Amino acid sequence: MNVNKIYPWYFSSGAIVLYLLFIVAPALLGIYYSFTDWNSYSSEKNFIGLEHFRTILAGDPTYLLFIKNTVLFTLITSIAKTVLGLFLALLLVSGVKAANLHRMIIFSPQVLSFLIVGLVFKSLLDPNNGFVNVTLRSLGLDVLAQNWLGSLTWAMPSIMAVDTWKGMGYIMVLFIAGLLAIPRDYYEAASIDGAGFWQKLFRITIPMLMPTITIATVLNITYGLRVFDAVYVLTNGGPGNATDVINTAVYSSFAKGYWGLGSALSTILFVIMAIISFFIIRLMNRKVEY
Amino acid sequence: MRKRFLLSLVGALLLSSLLLAGCNSGESSEGSGKVTLTFGTSQSGIPRTGIMQTMAKEYEQETGVKIDFQVVPDAQWRDLIKVKLASGEAPDIFNVDVDPLSMPANVRPEENAIDLTNEEFTGRMSEEILPTVSYKEKVYGVSFAPSKIWYVYYNKRIFEELGIQPPTSYAEFKAISQKIKDKDIIPFYQAPASGWYQVLPLFETGPNYEQAAPGTYEKLNNNEMKVADLTQLKTVIEQLKEFADLGYFGKDFLSNTVEAGIESFGQEKAAMLLRVPGTEKEVSEAYPDMKDNMGFFVMPWGDNQTIGVNPGGSAAMFGNKNSKHPEEVLKFFRWITEHDHLQRVFDGGEGNLTICWPEIEPKLTQDYIDYEKNHEKGTVMQAAVKYIDPQWMDIGKDLSGMFAGAMTPDQILQNIDKRRAEQAKVLKDEAWQ
Repeated sequence: MNVNKIYPWYFSSGAIVLYLLFIVAPALLGIYYSFTDWNSYSSEKNFIGLEHFRTILAGDPTYLLFIKNTVLFTLITSIAKTVLGLFLALLLVSGVKAANLHRMIIFSPQVLSFLIVGLVFKSLLDPNNGFVNVTLRSLGLDVLAQNWLGSLTWAMPSIMAVDTWKGMGYIMVLFIAGLLAIPRDYYEAASIDGAGFWQKLFRITIPMLMPTITIATVLNITYGLRVFDAVYVLTNGGPGNATDVINTAVYSSFAKGYWGLGSALSTILFVIMAIISFFIIRLMNRKVEY
Repeated sequence: MRKRFLLSLVGALLLSSLLLAGCNSGESSEGSGKVTLTFGTSQSGIPRTGIMQTMAKEYEQETGVKIDFQVVPDAQWRDLIKVKLASGEAPDIFNVDVDPLSMPANVRPEENAIDLTNEEFTGRMSEEILPTVSYKEKVYGVSFAPSKIWYVYYNKRIFEELGIQPPTSYAEFKAISQKIKDKDIIPFYQAPASGWYQVLPLFETGPNYEQAAPGTYEKLNNNEMKVADLTQLKTVIEQLKEFADLGYFGKDFLSNTVEAGIESFGQEKAAMLLRVPGTEKEVSEAYPDMKDNMGFFVMPWGDNQTIGVNPGGSAAMFGNKNSKHPEEVLKFFRWITEHDHLQRVFDGGEGNLTICWPEIEPKLTQDYIDYEKNHEKGTVMQAAVKYIDPQWMDIGKDLSGMFAGAMTPDQILQNIDKRRAEQAKVLKDEAWQ
């Protein structure tokens, strides 16, 4: 056998075994459990086929609400983070003063746990004594003061806003790296040809940034579909089920001891993520030629 | 080369297996041969004063057996212990909130708990608590918790200033709340953000439903009627909604937590709140002005005038049947239930006025004794009707949804029935087949 072909396997065998044991095997087991009635009230695990999937997709409209909330959250936060991240990146590479300091400040929420961010924002958004409403009232804007996390209208947008605030710094850093990699010659040539800001943006910057936009979009979408901590800390899915997403439903199912049902919800999430990621990468992974 | 490659793969597999075995060992003895018992509990499962931990240190000095406490936040423990029991990783001693209906499903005592039936101390526990820690005529748990009663506590000064009296019906409750609200004071402190508090009026007034139609609990347990058929329960839910809409819970109350209730009540921002006996001590310690300024009455939702008693609902200790040290667990249970040690647990607690051991003198004040004499008592619905307690937090979310305008009382009742049917199905309950 060709030694050069064996060596890569030889050196990576340990990692492969660990990967199979700790990543692949639990994932496959989870998918298997989604076809069983596994729960905390009995030691039996009976195969029940697609029953959980029927309950989730056809039997109970609440689960469809969770799926809808997850998709909506993903869509809006992905767009917001990408647009704001790009805007901030453009601003910070345009020669603004103390760019590094601004970059650090905008990126810093990214390194904080959502538990901390959530607790801080719960306090800021408290309808009675929170900074946001107190400030609005002190400015005479009482009409704008809302029950940010407790009303059907504002709870989900509030979570989306907090999540966007936390995540846009990371996307901004990706875009800064992408922007700095674009050769300056193109802009100089475009300037000589009389191109304005918008023409440069849409004809040079965005096409050149497509690989970065692809990465940012996939990251945003996969993060959005997996969202749990933001919702759990800020509203715990409330009021009612208004802000519940798939992962809070998974958590709730496991908490109640319905482990088979929770596994089925996770499997559905996995399938949605796999399909969306596949299509995004196919659609956006175009080669950029300089 | 292929041989070496295969040998490496086998080696890596063996290493991984050893790593896994190491992760799984759960060793509870120290190398010196000294025994360490792990004690898993939720925060509210043991007294906040740390009396149990202090006594455990003394126990270690006496016997050499160390008790290693693993205290987990309340909201996580209920889920965590289920997983630990299912995976065989449960501590040697574990606390679980008990009631006679859900304890067997939550603990699965025949598989997971040491049988305590023949222990001397089980004969000294109160008759009320025994059913909550027993299954198929065997006793599995040890509890210190008192029977739980929730009263509405009120600020006497505010009531006197407004010339109002504790209500005995919903109409009176509503009338006094309006008077309090007119003085820019929140009439009743509600705390939906904690998830469970808003559910109390629905089921603590259960004895009222049972008195109105005897046999209701039995019919519900036999699946001969639906929760949605309980018109009085629907009335209570509608009344809660009415209170919310009339502003009697205050503005933007959906973000309120239980913990903040003492502050709101103590600072006289709210005139009433729902709490258990012993609250006076907690409030007056934090707000000395409130000393001797607190009265209480039974919750008047649905015109209720019966005291709802929950014989369980709090933590009990179980010995892990699969522990490596079952005899040491039993010895600790025997030690902690000696009369003097029970007294210390009670005295070192933080405000409990009773304990579920008749040999320990309660600290109930004459007010409570007189009030209980003048009112009928009954068992609360969650301790007498199956599949209510396990969905408590779900009902809390539904009620928050109703306060916010997303659900109707009828939908809440239908959801309760739906979740009861789900759990009955999981537990293969014959009445639901």
